[in-house]
Amino acid sequence: MNDFIVQAQNIQKIYNPGKTSEVAAVRDVSLDIRKGEFLGIMGASGSGKSTVMNILGCLDRPTSGTVLLDRKEVSGLSDDELAKVRNKLIGFVFQSFNLLPRTTALENVELPLVYSERANIGRLARMALEAVGLKHRDNHYPGELSGGEQQRVAIARALVNEPEIIFADEPTGNLDSRSSYEVISLFQKLNEQGKTIVLVTHEPDIAEHARRIIRISDGRVVEDRVNENPKSAEEELRKLPGKEAKE
Amino acid sequence: MKSLRIIGSAFKSLGRNKLRTFLMMIGVIIGIMALTMVVAAGLGARQRVMERVRKFGLDSLMVRAGAGQTMGRPSDGQPTATLKVEDAEAILREIKQVADVSPQLHRPQMDVKYGDKSTSTMVLGAWPSFATVWDWGAAAGDFIDDEDVAGAARVCVIGPTVQKDLFGGAKPIGEMIRLGSVQFEVKGILVAKGTSPSGGDMDNRVMIPMTTMMRRIANIDYITNIKVRLKSVKDMDKAAGSIKALLRERHKTASGIPDDFTITTPEEVTETAEKVAGTFNLLLILVAGVSLIAGGVIVSNLMLISISERRKEIGLRKAVGAQKKNITLQFLLEAAAVTFTGGIIGVALGVAGSKILEIVTKTPTAVSWPVVILGLVFSSLVGLIAGIHPARRAASIQPIEALKP
Repeated sequence: MNDFIVQAQNIQKIYNPGKTSEVAAVRDVSLDIRKGEFLGIMGASGSGKSTVMNILGCLDRPTSGTVLLDRKEVSGLSDDELAKVRNKLIGFVFQSFNLLPRTTALENVELPLVYSERANIGRLARMALEAVGLKHRDNHYPGELSGGEQQRVAIARALVNEPEIIFADEPTGNLDSRSSYEVISLFQKLNEQGKTIVLVTHEPDIAEHARRIIRISDGRVVEDRVNENPKSAEEELRKLPGKEAKE
Repeated sequence: MKSLRIIGSAFKSLGRNKLRTFLMMIGVIIGIMALTMVVAAGLGARQRVMERVRKFGLDSLMVRAGAGQTMGRPSDGQPTATLKVEDAEAILREIKQVADVSPQLHRPQMDVKYGDKSTSTMVLGAWPSFATVWDWGAAAGDFIDDEDVAGAARVCVIGPTVQKDLFGGAKPIGEMIRLGSVQFEVKGILVAKGTSPSGGDMDNRVMIPMTTMMRRIANIDYITNIKVRLKSVKDMDKAAGSIKALLRERHKTASGIPDDFTITTPEEVTETAEKVAGTFNLLLILVAGVSLIAGGVIVSNLMLISISERRKEIGLRKAVGAQKKNITLQFLLEAAAVTFTGGIIGVALGVAGSKILEIVTKTPTAVSWPVVILGLVFSSLVGLIAGIHPARRAASIQPIEALKP
């Protein structure tokens, strides 16, 4: 459990360096994440938290500093090498779900496998859909699914290639509270099963479900604490009225 | 395995946006359809010429009055009056490669009457040799014989169309018909030949003895043409040369003065047809090339538009692990699949269009499969080339795009 999955050292991200429009999105962030952690990254919009996540998730490169993923340096890799790293090690969940339209849930979940070397992608995708409780929805199009269901399809897609770490950027931002708790509960279950989860959010209530919370402000980590009593989304779901009526 | 899945992705995305796919195809469809139809029409025309040559006879040549009249059309102003029946006799007598000759004098249109019925027909004065030289004798009754020619007899052999127009179902042999003010006895009916390769009705004619034609109908002492049948196909060039020399001598044409007649050999007709077809083919390649390039530009542009619409999709694909080459492959395949499918549809429509063209214009067309296959290969190639730029642009989209709301 003490293995580091992410080790970031003094990362900086500066847009338009040297110009008058120069913006420092990330000034100086050093951050280690151990395998099996459930980390919440908090911050107001514009604080740089999403940029940090993008850099840690190999979607973006830091202007300076180093990032080690699973003990391998990634900041110097080419686009294609980064694509391989993302495919193997990382799963993403986005605020706006980012499912392909006119594409079934199953095919959406298959997407990361299309670019992997694995076989039997249909079976793996079905298993992932089952893990998020949407096996019966495999042939539905995103338009036929509720927001919560769409986000669960997106989580199945993030899970399908068995990544080491899942980055979720405001995954509840477009969801009502019930769906939000369902999604968070799913993350908590995955975390219990050993997955490393990084949850980026600006909602303190959502962040309280993580076991470790860092706060980013103005491109720096201003707080890093262990959450002794993380909230259970499962319990909150139970407290919500009318659950039976909906399910 | 992975490549197969990426190919699958390409086809799936085409299926997902059918309108876009169709719009991308339409240029190629039209281009390939036009190509197929024009080639079919061109080949049909060429086959028609070949058919004509074959029907004329590979062992025969034609001598026409007048210079440079390959198409047998009278030159400007006066008809050339130098070609005589005696020339035909001389050719038969003096050129040893010649098997037989058939001099002819024709009026393209004359009224012919029987009782109160009348029709317009071609009248042709000929020798009995016409039957063997043209391989075209009487199907019923008799053809013109030597006696008819010697006595300038007022007898005629009519084509089946004339028979139908004047007599309907009645028996014409022995009946009298009138050409202008002259009465003719019908002594035979020509073998039906149907429509000529150029579309004329070959059965709408009345044949009379050459002498009768010259004295009683045309009132001239010259003829329009002589068909010469040789003993052997091999003697064609030699015979043509000898006939040319003989006629120049007989017509007392001084050296340096052009011929007052035209000799056409089957080879020349074929060559001309080939030459025309060659020019035509070059034009076709140009037309096809231009239409395919236009199709390619459409594909390229629509792909660029589609890629800017699909930035999120491409970003997402990259975020979940697609490499540049995967995206490039997908978009190249999309473009090639679109144009190839467009090519197939174009060929199908082109073949159908050729058939319609054949029915409407009553001219035969011939679909050329090598051209069709070439068209398909070409259309896929156009797609690949048209896809290069959009595919590269797609591949350069950063995964971070997927995260932008």
